[in-house]
Amino acid sequence: MTAIPKAPPAVPACPAPSVAGVRKRDERRRRFRRDRALLIMTAPAVLLLVVFNYVPMFGTATAFQSYSIYAGFMHSPWTGLTTFRSLFADPTFWSALQNTLVLSLVQLVLFFPIPIALAMLLNSIMSNKVRTVVQSIVYLPHFFSWVLAITIFQEMLGGAGALNQFLRQHGIATWDIMTNPDTFKFLVTAQVVWKEAGWGIIVFLAALAAIDQNLYEAAAVDGAGRWRRMWHITLPGIRSIVVLMLVLRLGNILTVGFEQLLIQRDAVGRDASEVLDTYAFYYGVVNANFSLGAAASLFKGVLSLILILAANKIAHLVGEDGLYRK
Amino acid sequence: MNPFDGVRSDRRRFLELAGLGALAVAGSGLVAGCGDAKTSGGPGTTDKNQLKSILPAYTAAAGLKPDIPSVQGTDGFFSTPVYLSYPASPATTATGVPGKGGSYTAITPLWGAIPASTGNTYYDTVNQALGATLKMQPSDGVNYDKTLPTLFAGNKLPDWLMIPSWNMGNLGFAEAVNKFADLGPYLSGDAVKAYPNLAAIPSTAWQCCIWNGKLFGLPVYYSGATAGGAFYYRKDILDKLGVRADSIKTPDDLEAAGKQLTDAKAGRWAFGDLFDYLGLIYKYPGDPNKWALDASGKLVNRYEMPEFLEALNWMTKQVKNGYVHPDAIAGKTDQGHQRFWSGKEVIQADGTGSWNGGDAQSGKAANPTYERQAFKPLSTDGKPEILMNAAAGMYSFLNGKLSADQIKECLSIANYLASPYGSAEFLTVNFGKQGVDYTMKDGNPQLTEKGSKEVATTFQFLVTPITPVPVQAGYVQVAKDYAAWEGDMVKYAKKPLFYGMNVTEPAQYAKLTQPMTDICKDIRFGRKPVSAYQDALKTWKAQGGDQLRAFYEDIRNKYGTGQ
Repeated sequence: MTAIPKAPPAVPACPAPSVAGVRKRDERRRRFRRDRALLIMTAPAVLLLVVFNYVPMFGTATAFQSYSIYAGFMHSPWTGLTTFRSLFADPTFWSALQNTLVLSLVQLVLFFPIPIALAMLLNSIMSNKVRTVVQSIVYLPHFFSWVLAITIFQEMLGGAGALNQFLRQHGIATWDIMTNPDTFKFLVTAQVVWKEAGWGIIVFLAALAAIDQNLYEAAAVDGAGRWRRMWHITLPGIRSIVVLMLVLRLGNILTVGFEQLLIQRDAVGRDASEVLDTYAFYYGVVNANFSLGAAASLFKGVLSLILILAANKIAHLVGEDGLYRK
Repeated sequence: MNPFDGVRSDRRRFLELAGLGALAVAGSGLVAGCGDAKTSGGPGTTDKNQLKSILPAYTAAAGLKPDIPSVQGTDGFFSTPVYLSYPASPATTATGVPGKGGSYTAITPLWGAIPASTGNTYYDTVNQALGATLKMQPSDGVNYDKTLPTLFAGNKLPDWLMIPSWNMGNLGFAEAVNKFADLGPYLSGDAVKAYPNLAAIPSTAWQCCIWNGKLFGLPVYYSGATAGGAFYYRKDILDKLGVRADSIKTPDDLEAAGKQLTDAKAGRWAFGDLFDYLGLIYKYPGDPNKWALDASGKLVNRYEMPEFLEALNWMTKQVKNGYVHPDAIAGKTDQGHQRFWSGKEVIQADGTGSWNGGDAQSGKAANPTYERQAFKPLSTDGKPEILMNAAAGMYSFLNGKLSADQIKECLSIANYLASPYGSAEFLTVNFGKQGVDYTMKDGNPQLTEKGSKEVATTFQFLVTPITPVPVQAGYVQVAKDYAAWEGDMVKYAKKPLFYGMNVTEPAQYAKLTQPMTDICKDIRFGRKPVSAYQDALKTWKAQGGDQLRAFYEDIRNKYGTGQ
């Protein structure tokens, strides 16, 4: 006896698209068509992001393995959270974390406002020529490598540098700047200011240029002085950019400079210069304990994500756009 | 006569060690097939047989008669022969073109400026002579230890790779070496006779190339007496200030000279950071043989030796006295040569490779009276002892993925590269094209301006003939001075514990070294008190130092000490 196949059910497997659904799809297609040019233009950037930022994320799997460079991460044994346990049990890791946080805090307080102030100062210069010259000079150090920047600092402020040789020749006590672990965080910040502050003003200059000049004229007519105009027009005008930059900075806050610290490690010692990035480098690559290095980096990544989301939330709470408009 | 005869007795012991790498991986006991661990029949015979089956047969090259012959020292060590001029019509030693048109990538470390890879006459000339293309990719030598693990991890090994022994610690080398080709079938015993220049490499150098009971490496820059370094001084400055170098014999003498030589106001300091070389004075072992026996016969690491702490104290004192250049304290080791050339640092410790004609040329460019000399071996008690490094400290390896034909082609190329001093090939490999990269001047090859930009130690880092001291850049006196110093030094040469044994420490102990290096820096540069050392040492012991001792104890019991 042959079984008679049952007739297919009369009810269709998926419900017919509702009117709202159809409208949504049409809407999406319409927007897609409208933004086609923009989407094509962003495609290469997205591709780069996927290839160089998202694909390597699979490498973080090594943090949960006992990774051997010979077995590769396809064949290394899984160890769960063991690596994290030994990471958290390592006192040097905590001292690296502490250094990272202290350095980032010092840099936030001492570095972040400087490009804003510099931008406002430059903006107030009337002569275009003077402004261009000053701008070029403060941009220049950004294009130096860290090796060069630190060599310049060493030549100027080092124990045998220009300053100390001058002091010595005049019988004045020398000043230990480059090899003092206690003041290292300020030295590092000073170096960052010297090298990057000029470059950091670009965004703020653009924001300043976007402020309606009529507002200044109207305020001046109403008798507002220089300070009042700054307080009531300039600062509110660039506030959203400042907040955006602050949020972005907070997401990046645990990245306090890898090369810069690596180069000066011998000058001040590990205790003062070890941060999460150098920790991951020394324990991961130099000692070939890639799992531990990956775990330290993953920990840093998660912490950064939490920071950036929290900062964004706060920005929204106080009525700013933050990273995106809510 | 083989100048290495004196150290031949080592071979037997060495072969017993052939299985050590495997031991390191397995954690305990020997992996079968690598060295004979069965002691029942006595290790002698079997090991001797195995030795015969691995080491290439030695056939001395018909060499030139040196102008200053080698000096026989203690413990079988001997100084390097010196040649004061290159033969006027150098002979060709290899027959035909070694290559068959193959193309190979090669990565070697380079301590110096990386030359341009395109339009490089030197590269092109050597490759043309080889009849093959070696794509040389020199990589910064200072950071080579960081480059290697990523090469292995990314499985991006080149066809030919040079690895110095001091960069093997973080690789777990006994495992890493399996990525390379076993050269035994091509070179062991009489097989090497197909490559006469490789057959002229002495057995002591080949011994260093064996891991896990297999011949993997080709030796690079080996010699009869590889000292860890020397204490150099600027003779012209010492003379000017009335300091007599031959009266300096102890660290105290050195300190007294430090006082006389330092004039901070004038921008002159007596010392660089000498610490890494103080073992040559205080008699504790340097890398890779970090162990010694104390009076009771117990194994102690150099970190545990009172001599090590004494040396640390001495260096700390010199920093405190203000005799050490501030840039050296700031860790600017890369500019050390410039400070020496310009006379800002008068006494410096450095490798023996720093003393040559090229150095004299750079120094005289900075200061016409420049003269580098080295102190005769110093000691605390008037009885110097120099603990020697293994005969070969650098080796190149062929990728295990190469076919047998490709390996044979590479070995033919190696045979060409190992052509002895005095041959036409040696000139090509070391100096490039005559008239473009070098010219013959006063009987010696001298690099032209183009040559000094193009010719870097690249092909030579794949394999070398036994390296004599040649005259460089026309500085005959420098070669003579070096020969005199080395001829004296070998009289104090001594084998450290586990000499030339290629012990591969288990990878988990790699992390022990960095904290100790860091604490020593913190102390001598005045960032931490000397008392902090004992705490660090305690941590070192607890975190694996004592286990490492047990590991070496086991080796000593099973394989002897290599001395």
